[in-house]
Amino acid sequence: MLSIVKLRLLSLRDNYMVFLVMTAMALGFTAVFGISFNTYRPSVIIVDEDNTPYSAEFIEELKQNQIFKFVDSDKENAIAGVEEGKILAALIIDEGFHDDIEQGNEIKIGQIKIKDDKYLLTLQETVRGIIVKMAGSERISKVTANFVSLQKPGADKEKIKSAAYESVMDSWKFKKPLKVTSTMANTRIQSGYDSMKQSMIGFTVFFSMYTMVFSIGTILSDKRYKTWERMLISPVSMSSILSGTMVVSFLVGMIQMSVLILGGRYLFGIDWGNSLAGIIMITTVFVFTITSFGLLLSAIVKTEAQLGAVAPVVLTSTSMLGGTMWPLEIVNNKLLLFLAELTPQKWAMQGMLNIAAKGMGFESAILPSIVLLLMGMIFFTIGVKTVK
Amino acid sequence: MLKVENLYKNFGNIAAVDGISFEVKRGEVFGLLGPNGAGKSTTISIISTLLPPTEGEIFFEGESIFKNSKNLRQKLGIVPQDIALYPTLTGYENLRFWGNLYGLKGAELKERINEVADIIGLNERLKDKVKKYSGGMKRRLNIGAALLHKPDLLIMDEPTVGIDPQSRSHILDTVLKLSAQGMTIIYTTHYMEEAEELCSRICIMDEGKIIASGTKQELVELVKERTRINIKLDKITGNMPQIFKEIPGVSDAAVLDDTVTLFGENGDILLAEIISRISEEKSKIRSLDIQKPDLEAVFLHLTGKALRD
Repeated sequence: MLSIVKLRLLSLRDNYMVFLVMTAMALGFTAVFGISFNTYRPSVIIVDEDNTPYSAEFIEELKQNQIFKFVDSDKENAIAGVEEGKILAALIIDEGFHDDIEQGNEIKIGQIKIKDDKYLLTLQETVRGIIVKMAGSERISKVTANFVSLQKPGADKEKIKSAAYESVMDSWKFKKPLKVTSTMANTRIQSGYDSMKQSMIGFTVFFSMYTMVFSIGTILSDKRYKTWERMLISPVSMSSILSGTMVVSFLVGMIQMSVLILGGRYLFGIDWGNSLAGIIMITTVFVFTITSFGLLLSAIVKTEAQLGAVAPVVLTSTSMLGGTMWPLEIVNNKLLLFLAELTPQKWAMQGMLNIAAKGMGFESAILPSIVLLLMGMIFFTIGVKTVK
Repeated sequence: MLKVENLYKNFGNIAAVDGISFEVKRGEVFGLLGPNGAGKSTTISIISTLLPPTEGEIFFEGESIFKNSKNLRQKLGIVPQDIALYPTLTGYENLRFWGNLYGLKGAELKERINEVADIIGLNERLKDKVKKYSGGMKRRLNIGAALLHKPDLLIMDEPTVGIDPQSRSHILDTVLKLSAQGMTIIYTTHYMEEAEELCSRICIMDEGKIIASGTKQELVELVKERTRINIKLDKITGNMPQIFKEIPGVSDAAVLDDTVTLFGENGDILLAEIISRISEEKSKIRSLDIQKPDLEAVFLHLTGKALRD
């Protein structure tokens, strides 16, 4: 097997361009997509039909958000703006918003939109976050006012409540983002969409697959050079030939994924989350799965030209399904979501996003890793049995 | 050393190998001679365990190669018909890889690479990438890759196809040297003169069957009364083969390009009649030679067609 490993490493000398091009493409696309979407601020109209201090405060909180550009307007303008596509969506603060918060009722914010997309998801999360914060502060201030008025009969309960509310709301400003993320993870509430992370992870997964698949495809160049048959009649077994080839493809995949992860960290300042072990685990299993998938593809097709024709179609379509190019949260079609479950990309994205974007821990990468491992084993078994 | 018994290989309805049996003795150069498509390469692929037979058995050193191929694979060197090398690697890297594959390493491998480079005459070019080699040099390196582990049995499948005369001559000399060193060689070719020059025993194959086998002398005995007359003409008319066959004493006639090949019992006596018939056809003789019976004559006699048809 060692002789095959040495051979494949030697061959890399002439095929390093694929590695470099795919790495550069992943970083380049991340830069273009991530930065473009980060600087772009979609407009959202706010229609305040409640006109109370709470609705004003809600709007003020919204306007502190840097992802969207919030504009005050009326309902007619809002409808027209959404219909004409000039604005992303409109938020309607219905009459009774103040009372609902005060009475602890379910709070509903109306939305005018045409279709769901990744920005609307973020907007909904933002709105939900502010409401949770306001409702929580309201409850805390009520409890505080009741407690103080019990302790000090005759004190102005409304004044105490108002002061307590202000105080609680102020205290949110000093919360560290890490704490907020942690709260969300614990309460199973999804955090906001981060286009840079989505792009980085998506393009890392997408472009590295090409390198891995074409790396294992060297067995097709063996067939072209007629060295495949010569190897098969040597004392080295078929399993050693395949293992040696897979080891090098696996190493190439790991190196590329590592370069991209480090590139994301130091070029784009991406925070890969709190579980490096989880990221390493999901990366390792994903590389194994895709190397095995490459083996299967190389076993099915007969020539490098066929692989060159089939691989981009298969890899791109499954990547689109698997959510490397847009978040799966915006996909509603059940068939597409079912098909996504069958792609390795979906599970790799899920595992990495859980850690890097949602602040979850190592345990969130376990299920995706198990699924990827199973997929890899199936691809490997069929590939080994099919290759001739 | 190697015994092939009732070997069959079918591809669908086509019988590529149709019940052949032969034995290769230690130290001999055994020739498999036949036109393209005769079944030589399929036979070689089965012997080298690349293809399973439809039926039949092959024994190497008394042991069935289908039950245990390890012994054969370790002791077998194969020179495939196609160049089987990595063009982007240097000659040295290619030899090192193939040597590695047979368990050679370190100083032993280096020594063997140098020895083999001497044998194939490529010492000066080993540092160059194979894609820069000429066709003949690639053929020689293709042979070298099969010699590194000093195989007991070397199979050479048409190793001189499509190369220049100089490289061809070098390869034939190499085969003779290896044979002189005691290596057992199976040599397949459709060049009759190569088989005559190199092989101690020859099997002639056609359409998957062995149609004759033996030493060159034994094979020629089959057609000893047949003298071969090659006449190169300025034009060939459509019915010429038939016209020549009608001459008393001519047993066979075949046309290949602008050359008529005739076989008869006594060339000198036939010649006058042949020249007369050529004049009647208003054709002119460009060259003429008379040869004693050879393997080409044997093949023509047994199959009714020329070896390179």
